[in-house]
Amino acid sequence: MIDVSHINCTYGKRTILSDLSFHLPQGSFYAIMGANGCGKTTLLRCIAGLLRPYSGEIKLSGRAINEYPIRELAKTIAFVQQHPQNDLEFSAFETVLMGRNPYQRHLQNESQADWDIVEQCMKQTNTWHLRFSLPSQMSGGELQRVMIARALAQQTPILLLDEPTSNLDISHQFEIMELLCRINSEEKKTILIVVHDLNLALRYCPNTILLKDKAVHFMGDTEEALTPSKISDVFGVESKVDKKNITILGLKNAQ
Amino acid sequence: MHKRRNILLVCIVLMLVTVILMALCSGVGVVHFDIKSLTESPIFWRLRLPRIVLSVLVGAALSVCGAAYQSVFRNPLTDPYVLGISSGASLGAALAILLGLETYLWGIGGMALCTALLTILLIFKVASMGNRMHTTTLLLTGVCLTFLITAIVSLLMALHQDKMESIIFWTMGSFASSSWLDVLILLPVVLVGLGVVIYHSRDLNLLLTGSETAQSLGVEVEKVRRRLLFFTTLMVAFCVSACGVIGFVGLVVPHCVRLVCGTDNRKVVPYSIFIGSIFLLLCDTGARTLIPPNELPVGSITSLIGAPMFIYLLYKSKRKND
Repeated sequence: MIDVSHINCTYGKRTILSDLSFHLPQGSFYAIMGANGCGKTTLLRCIAGLLRPYSGEIKLSGRAINEYPIRELAKTIAFVQQHPQNDLEFSAFETVLMGRNPYQRHLQNESQADWDIVEQCMKQTNTWHLRFSLPSQMSGGELQRVMIARALAQQTPILLLDEPTSNLDISHQFEIMELLCRINSEEKKTILIVVHDLNLALRYCPNTILLKDKAVHFMGDTEEALTPSKISDVFGVESKVDKKNITILGLKNAQ
Repeated sequence: MHKRRNILLVCIVLMLVTVILMALCSGVGVVHFDIKSLTESPIFWRLRLPRIVLSVLVGAALSVCGAAYQSVFRNPLTDPYVLGISSGASLGAALAILLGLETYLWGIGGMALCTALLTILLIFKVASMGNRMHTTTLLLTGVCLTFLITAIVSLLMALHQDKMESIIFWTMGSFASSSWLDVLILLPVVLVGLGVVIYHSRDLNLLLTGSETAQSLGVEVEKVRRRLLFFTTLMVAFCVSACGVIGFVGLVVPHCVRLVCGTDNRKVVPYSIFIGSIFLLLCDTGARTLIPPNELPVGSITSLIGAPMFIYLLYKSKRKND
């Protein structure tokens, strides 16, 4: 589904990703983890087509990403960004309706089908009751769920999320992760998500990509990824992992 | 919902028709309600009618440009005047007069377009340094450019005192010398420009959410933005060549429209066309009838309304951020 091969990415002179490759099969659910500034967001932006890698190639369903017209790409991949904008005067319903944009022609009004899809996506994310609210009237968790609803309304096979759970309290974190698990298992969407909270990843994400030194350090089962030795490698923290109760306890800096 | 929208649109169109009729009947000295004597008078056909048509066109164009700039720059405080694009166009118009280009049909407009495009290019370059355009940077750039251009135009006037009168006309907006020729030049430009903005009105909504979000929702951001900026600047340049710099129309009108119908540009743009026409026609009718037999510059009337509104909006947005 997603083929990343040998991409190099730079911001000015600084290299962010170097010779990074991996392959994600369809319907997989991967977490991306790594220390701050290791290029997690950059990687997502490359896959979303918002940033062109300096070299290397990204393919979606066998087709190179820069061969996709922007509209086609928006029907293939949906991207929930880290900081949802909260100063817009569009109601939640109008916001989610924007997810239908790639399917509409210019000057064409939304059809009943579009409205039904929006209603379904909003109900799925438990935001239907907020449909008349403005972003400024919503809490962080509510706004994040609206953004996920908009991404769902794009009806894409791939969903990328950049730290959707940051700034949320623990119950909303669980709510969003459970929602994503449901979407993954029911609709077979390929999900790639940047998470900071190791416990959250361990609890919900079946697979993990660990980034270190601008490349993939480990890729595979989350339980195998989050071992004390690998956590020490990637984050430089000594830790204790309790798999039975699904908890990771950070102890102290390894250095 | 659609029914209510249609009723509102019909009301606005009726309002425009009423204002046009009122403007047709009011004029220097006596008020004519006698259709027969009105239609027989050459003043009516040669002066008043083209003037009314021109102010309707300019009002519509400037308002829609304001609405478009506000979405493209993601800044509620922008309009062609505040950004300095109108002044940029007036510089081109002044240059065209000095170079003797006014004999060509598109001479002044073309030259105004060149300088206006240069202005917007400069603003875009300065304001888009860094990732997000900051309100203050954008506005300050616009204001400084206006100062700079005003200075250049003053210099041009001082150096060419024989052509001073016709240059002054461009720095203070007025419809006093409107002719059918102006209408003929402006009409196709405005129709095409409005068409392009209406065509992209949903894209304007998405641009408001930020360029990355818009792109991931399927908008060809760079292409759409470039096209919108070109056609709006085209409209501004030709409006300025027809009637000089008229400020704040693009700020006042879209804001009033949004108070009624919300942020959705698919409503804001068409409503702004009509409300903008009504607004500028009223201002111009006021300008020519308030102190007969003299005329007021219509630009100062719109600024009297627009500048306080600008300050109010600035105050409101500051308070929201704090």
